[in-house]
Amino acid sequence: MLERITSRITLWRVIVAVIFVTGMYATYVRFFEGFRASTNLSDQMPWGLWVGLGTLCGIGLSAAGFGISAAVYLLGMERYRPVLRASILISFLGYCTVMMGYLYEIGLPWRFWHPIVMWNGRSVLFDVCVCIMTYFTVLIFEFAPALIEKLPGRRLREAILEHHHRILTGVVMAGVLLSSMHQSFLGGLYLITAGKLHPLWYSPYIHAMFYMSAIPAGLALTVMAVYLSMRSLNVRVDFSILSDCGGMIQLLLIVLAFFRLLDLVANHAVHYAFHWTPEAGYFWLEMAMLIVAPVVLLSFDKVRDTPDALYGTCALVVAGFIVNRLNVSINALQTAMGTHYVPKWTELSSSVMMVAAAVIAFRYAVIHLDILPKQPVTAKAFRRWMANGGLSAEA
Amino acid sequence: MPKQKAMLIDIKRCIGCGSCETACKQLHGFNPDPEPTLSDTTFTVIEPRGDKFVRKVCMHCNDPACASACPVGAIKKTALGPVVYDAGKCIGCRYCMLACPYQVPRYQWTKLAPYVKKCDLCSERVKAGGQPACTEACPVQASVFGDRNQLITDAWERIRSDSSYVPQIYGLQEAGGGSVLFVSDVEFEKLGFKPLPTGNQPVPTLTASALGDSPKVVIMGGTILSALYWITQRRREVALAESAGKSGVSQSNEERN
Repeated sequence: MLERITSRITLWRVIVAVIFVTGMYATYVRFFEGFRASTNLSDQMPWGLWVGLGTLCGIGLSAAGFGISAAVYLLGMERYRPVLRASILISFLGYCTVMMGYLYEIGLPWRFWHPIVMWNGRSVLFDVCVCIMTYFTVLIFEFAPALIEKLPGRRLREAILEHHHRILTGVVMAGVLLSSMHQSFLGGLYLITAGKLHPLWYSPYIHAMFYMSAIPAGLALTVMAVYLSMRSLNVRVDFSILSDCGGMIQLLLIVLAFFRLLDLVANHAVHYAFHWTPEAGYFWLEMAMLIVAPVVLLSFDKVRDTPDALYGTCALVVAGFIVNRLNVSINALQTAMGTHYVPKWTELSSSVMMVAAAVIAFRYAVIHLDILPKQPVTAKAFRRWMANGGLSAEA
Repeated sequence: MPKQKAMLIDIKRCIGCGSCETACKQLHGFNPDPEPTLSDTTFTVIEPRGDKFVRKVCMHCNDPACASACPVGAIKKTALGPVVYDAGKCIGCRYCMLACPYQVPRYQWTKLAPYVKKCDLCSERVKAGGQPACTEACPVQASVFGDRNQLITDAWERIRSDSSYVPQIYGLQEAGGGSVLFVSDVEFEKLGFKPLPTGNQPVPTLTASALGDSPKVVIMGGTILSALYWITQRRREVALAESAGKSGVSQSNEERN
């Protein structure tokens, strides 16, 4: 009996257990002891890690859902259909975590519904709230078929799916517009911080920068999730799709780099990058991780065609993206706000818990629903796929 | 439309006695011990700058950044002048604190049901025809309360009759102007009044253009997406028709053979 229990204890399960225990404790501190006990937030730094990592990164990294659904449904790029559901699932789970995080962030979480009935059209944050709510509805709709397929009763299923299919195009279109809008509104939140946000990040077009950086980062996360699913679960996707995603990410990053540079020149902010300040350091870290290294790496066929290397590069893009969002929300603000903010461990552990919950939910969804094309388990399948660059994966 | 009220603070007259701080704390029932900066129990504070004393307090902007930022509209500019906060609406997002160009709003970080705290220019007393506790308590009339237009006239009069004053009323036009005005005999920049990002434009103009663009973006984006979708569908139809045509041709060829 004891052996049966101990044999189920693996390194990853221990890590997950630690994450959940610390996360639950942090949650307890947040809701029963308040902000002072659970965060290092202050009047000088009213928004910290929960906003920077939870909301800005959570939504930004969920951008693949609308990107790939637009590519498949509206542009007819049928090639990407195998990863469509995975990307929608990622977005769906990303928004779930953001909504959970919202309850941690706001001081009076039981009033979470106030923005639904109390409107202020001049507030960017209100628009973000509205877009999150409506786009979440769209995501539920786009994700629903994966669940409807599992309903008992063939006729019921088909009836629902037929109605679903009729309005799908319209819903996808609305989804693309809504999420484009609020990916940029997240950047728009910082328009009003002129004079506080460091000039290397502040721009009257910061909302456009947020939009342009979210799509490659979201795609990179999708590549990572699909790769990990293939490695650990018995699903198979033609690897060349992921390679092509790599090429797409590279192209989008070059576009981002071009406009980012143009924007810096237009704002006369280039010289700040060469001052000996912490902000310049953060800027170069962001540039190296989000733009320079991935663009260079992805220009090698060998990197794009080797699963591990592609995965590593995508991880770099995601990490660089997180650096960018934390720079905007924390690092570029603290000098002007006259403070130095380091998040408390409870802020970090509660955020990590939500990410872990999303990863676990993704895993079980891939196992139990038809998210990615399944393949019967064969011991050698993975090796074979590694050996010839994914050609046999189609078979 | 009632006449807009305002508060005029004269830095030359201020002796730094702290009567305004104490009166404010007393009125709100806060701990009377003085604090170095604004806090959730200090809505106004006297900051020494060299041999001068600068009162820090909510500027009660005419077009407040905090009010434009608040997602639920909990902060409002009233017709009489005070910028007031409706604790019943607030969700505690703290965006007002990030938006305020003067960094005035404070938060009750230690409470389990925390609210935003800031000066409301004693809105209730003003509505009843009275004046704020701080101006009432000022022993040297460094802070006075009255009709905004009248105070502006008085301030210019003071500047004209005494050449030691800087010829500027801070708060008259800064960030679109507000209901708290300053006159001083030392340049405002030297007293820690930072230049504002928007100059004399209200701070909400920073977001207005981006928000104003969004309907255009939606309409244009929707049109482009629909057009792309139409092209995709059309291509698909053509491809289908072509393949059908080809197979039809080959079929008829086969028949002939």
